[in-house]
Amino acid sequence: MSSPSAPAIELRGLHKSFTRPGHPSVEAVRGVDLTVDRGQIVAFLGPNGAGKTTTLDMVLGLTEPTSGTALVYGDRPRRAITAGRVSAVLQTGGLLRDLTVRETVRMIASTFPRAADVDDVLERAGLADQRDRMVSKCSGGEQQRLRFALALLPDPELLILDEPTAGMDVAARHDFWAAMRAEADAGRTVVFATHYLEEADSFAERIVMIAQGRVIADGTTAEIRSRATGRTVTASLPPGRVGSVAAALREQEHVAEVSLAGSRITVRTGDSDRVALALLTELGGTELEITTGSLDDAFLAITGDDQLHTGADTEIDTQADTQEGVR
Amino acid sequence: MNTVYFGLELRRIGRDLVSMFFIAILPAFMYLIFGAAQDYGQESAGNGNVTMYVMISMAAYGAVTATTGIGGMAAVERMQGWGRQLGLTPMPDSQYVLVKSLIGLCIAGVPVALVYLLGELTGADGTVSAWLLSGLLVMVGAAVFAVFGLVFGLAFRSEAAVGAASGILVIFGFLGNLFFPLDGVLLAIAKFTPLYGYVSLARRPLTEGYLVDQTTGQAEFEPLWVAVTNVSVWLLILSLLAIWLVRRGRGRQ
Repeated sequence: MSSPSAPAIELRGLHKSFTRPGHPSVEAVRGVDLTVDRGQIVAFLGPNGAGKTTTLDMVLGLTEPTSGTALVYGDRPRRAITAGRVSAVLQTGGLLRDLTVRETVRMIASTFPRAADVDDVLERAGLADQRDRMVSKCSGGEQQRLRFALALLPDPELLILDEPTAGMDVAARHDFWAAMRAEADAGRTVVFATHYLEEADSFAERIVMIAQGRVIADGTTAEIRSRATGRTVTASLPPGRVGSVAAALREQEHVAEVSLAGSRITVRTGDSDRVALALLTELGGTELEITTGSLDDAFLAITGDDQLHTGADTEIDTQADTQEGVR
Repeated sequence: MNTVYFGLELRRIGRDLVSMFFIAILPAFMYLIFGAAQDYGQESAGNGNVTMYVMISMAAYGAVTATTGIGGMAAVERMQGWGRQLGLTPMPDSQYVLVKSLIGLCIAGVPVALVYLLGELTGADGTVSAWLLSGLLVMVGAAVFAVFGLVFGLAFRSEAAVGAASGILVIFGFLGNLFFPLDGVLLAIAKFTPLYGYVSLARRPLTEGYLVDQTTGQAEFEPLWVAVTNVSVWLLILSLLAIWLVRRGRGRQ
């Protein structure tokens, strides 16, 4: 089955529903089709409960799909795990509290026929100074780095990270992504789930938006951004022409919104190139600026609601930022 | 067999001094008080003396405390996410069960070895076959209680529940004719409780199946099937419960 050219991940018609006695069955994943090529860095972006974790669990062979197939390098996920080709940092991956950091790494290393060197992995995960600390005494960020160290053990081609920075403060998050980037630069395929837009924005080259168990948008970071708001073009106009230019632009079908402030005109559009060209030529505009809308806006426009802002983690995030400020 | 994993597990449990106290020190202490230090200790109890009878009982208590704790902790650690972590490794479930079983055997062996050693030093007396067979039965029978711990761990998913399971063993110890000889109605009830069959079987190489009725002072023979049925039925009940709980846990994920 495994072929040398198979993509890192291939999901076809993936469904997963959970049934509990006495409850209606819950459809967590409702038909996901997705291909992740080798060497890509992909973010799964979506609010809590969107189906990100369930989808990743099926990629890792931790959960069997109700229907559809999940292939990793053209093979069944469990085979890819056994071969050490895929590894993961799980959101809820349990650690044994009464082991030290180094013992935990040794324990998991012992399950692989060929594992990376324990001390080298601790070094790469930034845990060299905490190696003899009990897991129960480690901070949330340290425990997360320990899970990261465990994921590096099989030297995987594909690394999956489920909400890897949840519960970390800003500095820890920065360090974590720096370590992650080093692994990605070494040629690994990286897929991570997050609901932090800025993480998807700064780290991923491709964003897959997931809501209510479905893929609702898929593209490069820039594509996703422009998809909702398009771009914003601003220019200064000669006095006296402001009104007529605004009226002319409003008639164009690719223009979403035109606003004026003195001699400055602001145009929100799906085709910034055409607007810019018109402004600089026939409309007499000067001092032209083009900006892209934020990913935040894009997400709201695509999902059509603001559930992203109501998650509990956003509050934790705010607290972490406050603490950062106090220090 | 993964010896690194096994060694680290062993170190981890050895670090838990509170558990090791209840598993090893408490049964040894109870043996010294109720067995070695008593006047009745040198009276005959079949193929040996009463001190040996108490020694087997206390070793059995220590062994089931150990296996209950290890079975329970295995369930809890898997439920709390270590199972998912192991799911990302090539380690098959059978390997995990093997490691945990051997750990159970080693840890259960600690109180048995300690109490039997103290017995040898403080006047427990019996035939060689009574020593060897009783020790073997204590160890084998203790495996049943790994399932008992597993059921508690699966049902309540917390370390505290596993502690409670070990605590309940004390009650079953009294009810099961383990700590002191029961008679009359209590003995009749005892035959249905989970520790009764196990400890009766462990003592059988010594007592040959005779129970001492404290009121009449007469020895009463109990056929082997009583103890065997008790152990079999409890093993069946606990196994069915464990299977049901595992299925329930899967559906919930």
